[in-house]
Amino acid sequence: MTIAEIKTEFYNAITNCKTVSELQDLKVKYLGKTGELTAVLKSIKDLPAEERPSFGAKVNELRKEMESCFGQRAELLKSEEMQRRLREEKVDISLTSYPRRGALHPVTLVEREICDLMIAMGFEVLSGPEIETDYYNFQALNIPEDHPARDMQDTFYVTDSILLRTQTSAMQARLMERKNPPLKVVCPGKVYRSDSDASHSPVFHQIEGLVVDKNITLCDLKGTLEYLASHLFGANTKVRFRPSFFPFTEPSVEVDVTCSNCGGKGCSLCKGTGWIELLGAGMVNPVVLENCGIDSTKYNGYAFGIGMDRVAMIKYGIPDIRLFFENDQRFLKQFSK
Amino acid sequence: MKVPLSWIKEYVDVTEDIQTLCDKMVGIGLEIEDVVYLGEKVTNVKVCRIVDIAQHPNAERLLCCKVDIGGEIIPIVTNDHHVKVGDKVPVALHNADLANGMHITKGKMRGEESWGMFCGAEELGINGDMYPGADSDGVLILQDGATVGADIRGEVGIDDYVLDVCVTANRQDCNSVLGLAREVAVALGKTCKQPDISYTEGTVETTDLVSVDVVADDICRGYYMQGVTDVTVAKSPVWLTSRLAKVGLHGINNLVDITNYVLFEIGQPMHAFDYDDIDEHKIVVRRATDGEKIVPLDGKEYTLCSDDLVIADQHRAVGLAGIMGGANSGIKDTTRCVLFESATFARKNVRRTGHRLGLRSDSSARFEKGIETYTNNLGLSRALHLIEQLGCGKITKGRISVGEVASDRIVQFDKRRIAKLLGIVIPDERILSILSSLNIATEIDGNNVKCVIPPYRDDIQRDCDLVEELIRVYGYDNITGTLMEKSRITTGGKTTEEKQIDDIKTLLCGLRYNECVFYPFAGKALFDKASTKPVDESVYIRVKNPIGEELSLMNRELAPNMLQCVALNLSRNNSELRLFEVGKAYLADSLPLVDLPIEQKRLSVCATETDFDSFRKDILQIVGSVTDGKIKLVRSSCDLLHTGISADIFVDGKNIGHFGKIHPQIASNFDIDVDCWYAELYLDELFRLARGDVRYQPFAKYPSVSRDFAFLCNEDVAVQDILDEFTCLSLVESAELFDIYRDEKLGEGKKSVAITVVFRDRNKTLQDSDIEKQCAKALKSLREKYNVVLREQ
Repeated sequence: MTIAEIKTEFYNAITNCKTVSELQDLKVKYLGKTGELTAVLKSIKDLPAEERPSFGAKVNELRKEMESCFGQRAELLKSEEMQRRLREEKVDISLTSYPRRGALHPVTLVEREICDLMIAMGFEVLSGPEIETDYYNFQALNIPEDHPARDMQDTFYVTDSILLRTQTSAMQARLMERKNPPLKVVCPGKVYRSDSDASHSPVFHQIEGLVVDKNITLCDLKGTLEYLASHLFGANTKVRFRPSFFPFTEPSVEVDVTCSNCGGKGCSLCKGTGWIELLGAGMVNPVVLENCGIDSTKYNGYAFGIGMDRVAMIKYGIPDIRLFFENDQRFLKQFSK
Repeated sequence: MKVPLSWIKEYVDVTEDIQTLCDKMVGIGLEIEDVVYLGEKVTNVKVCRIVDIAQHPNAERLLCCKVDIGGEIIPIVTNDHHVKVGDKVPVALHNADLANGMHITKGKMRGEESWGMFCGAEELGINGDMYPGADSDGVLILQDGATVGADIRGEVGIDDYVLDVCVTANRQDCNSVLGLAREVAVALGKTCKQPDISYTEGTVETTDLVSVDVVADDICRGYYMQGVTDVTVAKSPVWLTSRLAKVGLHGINNLVDITNYVLFEIGQPMHAFDYDDIDEHKIVVRRATDGEKIVPLDGKEYTLCSDDLVIADQHRAVGLAGIMGGANSGIKDTTRCVLFESATFARKNVRRTGHRLGLRSDSSARFEKGIETYTNNLGLSRALHLIEQLGCGKITKGRISVGEVASDRIVQFDKRRIAKLLGIVIPDERILSILSSLNIATEIDGNNVKCVIPPYRDDIQRDCDLVEELIRVYGYDNITGTLMEKSRITTGGKTTEEKQIDDIKTLLCGLRYNECVFYPFAGKALFDKASTKPVDESVYIRVKNPIGEELSLMNRELAPNMLQCVALNLSRNNSELRLFEVGKAYLADSLPLVDLPIEQKRLSVCATETDFDSFRKDILQIVGSVTDGKIKLVRSSCDLLHTGISADIFVDGKNIGHFGKIHPQIASNFDIDVDCWYAELYLDELFRLARGDVRYQPFAKYPSVSRDFAFLCNEDVAVQDILDEFTCLSLVESAELFDIYRDEKLGEGKKSVAITVVFRDRNKTLQDSDIEKQCAKALKSLREKYNVVLREQ
């Protein structure tokens, strides 16, 4: 074939070439060691000497032209293939469903929130026995046998001296016996009272806070609870103390917070008062300190007990405490995050 | 404690509106549970005077009246024929509401105009205790003094509030009108009157009538007695019974009503004995003898024991001290002479006896809260004053007094203690004025504060009690929050165990499980359901006074609650359940408990719509998140689980729990009709095996070689046993199952197990010969131990 014939044939072939691998074959056919162009070049020896240089130059020119064509064609085909691949691998991306993470129980969420905050303020988190002695649940807390304060709580007894703790306050004396001041502890856990309706459950969850050191005042108790309440219910939450009575604190207070539902204007949740009764607290009664061998002239402290179920009910708008213990998965899943 | 506002006003000049009053009471610590306005349901009813009565033209049984409602004459038709011209009666006007729910409107009755309706007692919500004549049917004829045109509520005493006050356990002195009045006076900054206790004694000496011997003086700290002769038993006046009615009591007769009145007003339970029933006229306060019988006023017979305190005459018990008088000595219409008792009986005894006999009364309720000897004399004097006021008889001369006499108590403390506890300073003049309003006479000398505590304030014993008195009156709003700036720095945090539990809960959430919370107690019926055979009740810790049998035994397993929860969720068509609980098993070393039992931390995990392998991986992921120990699964014999599809989990040889499919019989006990997967882990055990600190391991320098093997073996050979024969070799990095194949050609009861083993030497490039040597060892062992052979290709 002549150079011109080769050239024409080559351009036809390369234009028809559709894939990178066909192109590779074509390259071998024309430019390979046994390829067309090599064969033509070999025929140079049959030419007169004076034609050889120009023939050689023409062949080389064609080779360069072909190489360049191969290069361009390869680029084109590669890019086409990439486009095709992207086209063919396309998927439907519209679906929005996904597997939901499981949920912690709302009471656990409240417990974690309170604990995290108290830890940041230097509180240890400790838990204790639910089946407790009469001593720690009552006597050490200045509630002797037959004290009318025992009527405040309907107690489940296991024996005459062992009971299901009615309050996480039962941890107070255990903590004070175990460790010298300074003491800053919170104790979350289950407590038991013989009571059952929409707002009372025979089992519920409290978290006890106890601080014992020199220079602890009622102002510190209020400050701590303000800090806690603003984290639980929002920055504008206010705290109010009302006089109350617990045998193990003196003075004792009921603590109300402004209703998070209505912001204190009055609504059905707060029965129109703008305030929600949240917890009991007070300054540790010196009798309790003395029962635990702590010098009440040097040290004082404060204690508070929060019903975590109640906090969760307010925070999440849960109307009935029994939902917590029923564990309907539709209820539980709502607290996934 | 229920108290009518009108009774409080007897002692304090309350001019504030009810809301202000309640707020102020709450402010000093008297929680108001409820406020009831007695006239709430009665509106637009007035006092009218009948000026004319005529027969109804169209109805024989009706009368047409003209009544004056204060400047206006209106027509009223009535069917009550006993009304007379000039009578003052209550009339419900247009749009009036009545206590029985009736709504009255203007109208015509058989053609005659009637602008309202005359009312009877029931329509006003009152009875004979509250207004004279209100115990009869028909239109209520009002007293002559009634003001025509006035609102009826004021006339019949229902323009009044009854406050239900929650009195804290330390303030037993407030379980009385007088006690509350004292507090109201403090709250309002007013003064509280003293009760009138004046009376004139007659000539009969009390000691000539009766003698008192308090034998059990350890449980009767004070016993006071005085008599009334020439008694007239009669009905009490309405002013008295109306007050009792408002606190829920019926009038009985003047003597009994007086004791009830004093009980509520002064807070002192009293008892009146019929003198003629006291044998030999000698009162003995003694413990009962075991088996002694008494019939109190409720008419039932009770058997007593030596722990009970009785009031007796020479021969028999005539009263159960502090609880109820005896039927044999009660006040009768024929009573001529009465002995009034006012005493302090020990709280403990009254409480124990009352609880044991199941017998309670207003009196015992007061004694259980605690009665101070202070009110013994006051109550008795007040009762005698009322005897005289009501003209019930002649008061005997002198009082029999046995036991202690209440007196003031002095408490001294360092004034700096106030700021130390409160964090604020209260000025001296406020200290003095506040304590003075509480009847606590106080002197401040430098830092020394000396207080004289009145005898009714038994709750004030030391400095902190006085600090509380100061701040509750000074106002808690004066407390401003501070953040323990003066206390020492402490490091906070959770215990390792708490952190481990947090991590496990977080992991389970990631695995799509939802956390549950259950009651830690349940009943035998539930435990039986969660077992293939009835459980042995005697090993459970039992609550002595449960709400019900179904909440009486402390859990020893978490499964029963969880299965019940699964059943509930399935019954509500909740699908794809993923549930867990971190709870406790309460395990007693011996029963009945002497020491506190073990409270073992447990984790229960439950799932439906999954399979053994997926569930196994979830459970082992939890185990593996805590420990690096060697896990081994052994067929479980746990009663709860399917014998063929369950495993006990061992870590480093320690059993840390079990998992598998719920036993079909148990599933059916709970009506669980889907496959249910359950695991229970002993967290305390698991945490003991927790991994220590992580140390970095350099990557392997030399390449690994992997080889596949296909084995033929009996169906019951455990795949893990095959793998273990490789993993125990020094050059094996891992061995994993990739296929199990069963075919008729393999033979009945046979399976083919294909595994991949990865070999690596950490110190040099592996040689084929090394691998061959190790393989030979494993293959030999497999053949000998389990009859596992390489499959012919």
